[in-house]
Amino acid sequence: MNSMNKLVEELKGRFTLLEVLLPDQQQLIVDIDQMHLHALLSHLKATGFRQLSLLTAVDWIEENTFQLVYIVFNWDTGIHVLVRTKLPRDKAVFRTITGIYPGAQYYERDVHEFFGVAFEGNVMSFKPLFLELWDELPPMRKDFDPEAYSREKFPERPYVPQFVPKVEVVE
Amino acid sequence: MTTNSKDMRKTWEKIADYFRAHSIWMKWYCTGCGAIEMPPTMTSRFDMEQLGMGPMATPRQADVLLITGYLSAKTLRRVIYSYEQMQDPKYVVGFGSCTLNGGIYFDSYATMTRLDHYLPVDLYIAGCMPRPEAIMNAFDTLIKMIEKGEAKGWRHYQENHDWYRKNQLHSLKEVYVKDEFHE
Repeated sequence: MNSMNKLVEELKGRFTLLEVLLPDQQQLIVDIDQMHLHALLSHLKATGFRQLSLLTAVDWIEENTFQLVYIVFNWDTGIHVLVRTKLPRDKAVFRTITGIYPGAQYYERDVHEFFGVAFEGNVMSFKPLFLELWDELPPMRKDFDPEAYSREKFPERPYVPQFVPKVEVVE
Repeated sequence: MTTNSKDMRKTWEKIADYFRAHSIWMKWYCTGCGAIEMPPTMTSRFDMEQLGMGPMATPRQADVLLITGYLSAKTLRRVIYSYEQMQDPKYVVGFGSCTLNGGIYFDSYATMTRLDHYLPVDLYIAGCMPRPEAIMNAFDTLIKMIEKGEAKGWRHYQENHDWYRKNQLHSLKEVYVKDEFHE
């Protein structure tokens, strides 16, 4: 817990954080402006957070924003830091972090494919990763309707429940 | 598959079907969680070799394509490749409710809802998951079907190839597999 307090104090002193949350003893959530995210991540990497565990996105369609979530992990102290930032939904462009964490390559491809967030500086991120020949909206966006897509592309079996007996209610 | 009640086979086909039915080599396309039911089926608890069935490593030498679990658009392309590599006569068994009607992810953008739209399925095993007893039961039924000449899915695929191809292209746009690791 002591190392956690030190970390929070240090980050608060160095960066202008929008919000700091402590959901668990070993977890820290930090919201930051997108201009300062790269500086924060380089600082974390330099101070022991060597592993990028995850990069993913959340679609807040009512606020019209995408939230990018970077989870980094320190193997010495066992602390996870979730660094979150928000992007405007209609201009979903961000800069790559592959210069800091090269392993973000595939996560950025993933986020680009499923949310349509473009990562400038990472040419590879525009290649499709999982979906082949996809031509619709990115499927993890909230305004994409998977059921309508499935109905249209993959015809369903007509359902005939022959085994359900019809029961007549006698009063 | 529609089956004629009248047996149209020639004598040599009946003899061939008898032998086919009693030495079945299976290719498992283990796409989803269904694969977990195969180890108990093939090992000593249920021992599928008592029915004369064995696992086969490649589609070219296999008789039965057993599809255990979900098919995504991506896997269906590979399954069609594997199926078309197999030699006639060949049989397809769909395993689990996911191949039957889409199962719990029927509304997903990625998963197929019915396998028989794309490949001729001779037999379905319903359930989520079917237990090894159900698989053994299905094998038994399949053997009887082959022996009686009822498992004619491969012939149906040849005769209605346009219909199958049209469905495949409607859902997949292109059956050709593009794989960036083999470019």
